[in-house]
Amino acid sequence: MTTNDHLLQSETPDRKTQLILRTRDFWGALVLLGLSAFFLWRTSFIPLWGENRAGVKGGDWYNSAALVPWGIFSAMFVLSLVLLRVAIREGGAKRAMSSVGIGWDRVEALRFTTLAVILFFYIAGLVPRVDFILCSGLLITALIYGYHSGHVARMVLAAAVVGFAGIYAMALHLPRAAWAQHDDDWLVFALWIVLTTWVLWSERGNRLARVIPVISVLAPTILVCAMAFGFRQNVPNRGGLIFKQIEYQYYVTLKPFWSGK
Amino acid sequence: MDFVLSQLAGFGSAFAALVVDPLTYVYLVTSVFLGITFGALPGLTATLAVTILTGFFGNKIPLDYSMIALLGAYVGAIYGGSYPSILLNIPGTAASAATAMDGHPLAKAGRGGEALGLTTTASFIGTLIGTVALLIFVWVLLLISKNIASPEKALLALFGILLSGTLMSEDLVIKGWIAGLIGLAMAMVGMDPLLSEPRYTFGWSYMLSGFQVVPVLMGAFAVPQIIEGMRHVEVGRMVALQGRILPNFAAIRRHLPTITRSGVIGTGVGALPGVGEDVAGWVSYGVGKTVSKDGKNFGKGSLEGLLSSETANNACIGGALIPLLVLGIPGSPPAAALMGAFKINNVIPGPTIDPEIILRVVAIMVLASFTMWILGLFTARIFIKILRIPQTVFLPVVMVLTAIGSFSVGGGINDLYLMLGVGIVAYFMNLMKYPIAPLVIGVILGGLFDETFRRALFLSDGSLGVFVSRPGAAVLLAFNVALIAAQIPMIRRPFQRRGRKEA
Repeated sequence: MTTNDHLLQSETPDRKTQLILRTRDFWGALVLLGLSAFFLWRTSFIPLWGENRAGVKGGDWYNSAALVPWGIFSAMFVLSLVLLRVAIREGGAKRAMSSVGIGWDRVEALRFTTLAVILFFYIAGLVPRVDFILCSGLLITALIYGYHSGHVARMVLAAAVVGFAGIYAMALHLPRAAWAQHDDDWLVFALWIVLTTWVLWSERGNRLARVIPVISVLAPTILVCAMAFGFRQNVPNRGGLIFKQIEYQYYVTLKPFWSGK
Repeated sequence: MDFVLSQLAGFGSAFAALVVDPLTYVYLVTSVFLGITFGALPGLTATLAVTILTGFFGNKIPLDYSMIALLGAYVGAIYGGSYPSILLNIPGTAASAATAMDGHPLAKAGRGGEALGLTTTASFIGTLIGTVALLIFVWVLLLISKNIASPEKALLALFGILLSGTLMSEDLVIKGWIAGLIGLAMAMVGMDPLLSEPRYTFGWSYMLSGFQVVPVLMGAFAVPQIIEGMRHVEVGRMVALQGRILPNFAAIRRHLPTITRSGVIGTGVGALPGVGEDVAGWVSYGVGKTVSKDGKNFGKGSLEGLLSSETANNACIGGALIPLLVLGIPGSPPAAALMGAFKINNVIPGPTIDPEIILRVVAIMVLASFTMWILGLFTARIFIKILRIPQTVFLPVVMVLTAIGSFSVGGGINDLYLMLGVGIVAYFMNLMKYPIAPLVIGVILGGLFDETFRRALFLSDGSLGVFVSRPGAAVLLAFNVALIAAQIPMIRRPFQRRGRKEA
């Protein structure tokens, strides 16, 4: 721990929060400076002074598509400099390289990382490729089990299960043409069953554990059916293992039955 | 007089058309119930309720029903935030933060039932005050707005973003402005509105149509809430509800001046572009503390304090709809979500809006506030039970709702990637105390600002004088300059010195 870190520890909680915020602002301002410089450079590709394009003169500068973006990114560049100045003046730069200075919390970082892994693989890997009821059921089970009690090991297990399913789906069925395959649906189904069994076994006597399977089955099923048949909206992966059967039974069995045909 | 009568007749027919339709009640009761539930559960907000329902109802049901669902949820959620404020000392929504100051001490003193009953009635009256103001001022402003041209529209959009950035910042004001600029920058992606020049698409065809509003809203408001809320939290000790909830009408009559004053303040704050119900609640609480005879008891369980914030945050809803409907500039973050719903239904709020829609909005607001009042008084104990559900149980369901809602509006998986990307960025912005509301308002108003700013310059052959030669534009420019100048230390210092001397 550096002298700066010791000084930070002796501050009042409010002051400490503010000092940590300024250290983060220091890094934030640098990122913003970089981004605004990058986008100013990209904006230079958009004609501003009414260039000729294939012999046809473009609009004047005041009508250019680059005018407002120039203003936005220039303003962002200037404001980032102001933020950087404020952060440096309040000691943000001095503590920038220390974990205490930026307010690093290992458990919190792990919580965020595992959640980011779960959300990334759910959205990018599972939703496009796996039946929505199955992947959402797995997500709900993993999230409740992983984060309700705050145990780090459970967070890691939840992320590992969803991450494994997501990596499998993405690795084997990355192109859109392969999204209709069902082996990843079966894998997710198996993982969901295993995780649910593990939750029920390890949390014997806990009322919440008994509720998790009910929520994870009912919530996505009701939502996807209400969306598809009630509001007639698009739903992800209509050809999914379970939804395909529901849709078939709805149109072939239920609808004719209701309409008396 | 003829004008007033014709408006009343228009409102009457819109109201009657809704009242005789049985489906109205299905949407109304469901959405207000859902709204109160969202408001009551700490971790879910009014903006999230409106955003999620926008994704859920999308543009596949008639606009009237869609508006009933969204406005019902909006009214219900702002009111619902009072439950955890009073019983748990945890504000259900930011709008109810001031409510906890007096609501919880009242509940601890065994007056929880009385506090809830009065809060319900005050929220109902507050919503009606905001709605009446909406009915009156929307027409006045609509008449004025006919004279608003591109320079005024551009400056108004900029004013909305700046004001929202200034007032919504918890930390440095420039962070609010940077958030607004990030929103504006996001709105620049895609084909430009005048010359169809592609901007920042990086060769990806999905980006040609720009960022879709609903996934951005979902990402900005839902994902950070889910990431933040998925943690172990000891549920606070809930104070047992004592006393009857049905309010004593003599007490309501006694507090009517406070309710009226707070309703007017709430409506006024709501009418400011981009400023939400939380600011309305605190401003009204602050004014109440200064002017009320009971001011010294504020924070110790004062009914006046409770009613000051709770009436104002509900009255703010009507106020927030005024700039939305007249100028196309949302008055609060949930109104920004509402604007997204209008957009996906191909309704462009602003001077050219169909007056019938305004009358229907007013009629829906009246019905929604009645529904909220009745549900609040007679089913309060159900919502109290809902308060016990841990957020780690309902937030995963919200994630599934968010995913399916985002997907269904645009019908593409790219919208989900956009939602997640915006969500992660918004989470880090929250962590560094950047407000999210200016970002969303920037995304929504960016297109309008770009188009009208360039159109104004085009009509004046590139002369910047167009922004000062028109009186309306000159006034708005002065507001914008003043707002920026007020944050520059060199300009602020002499004013602060003079203020100290006078004190």
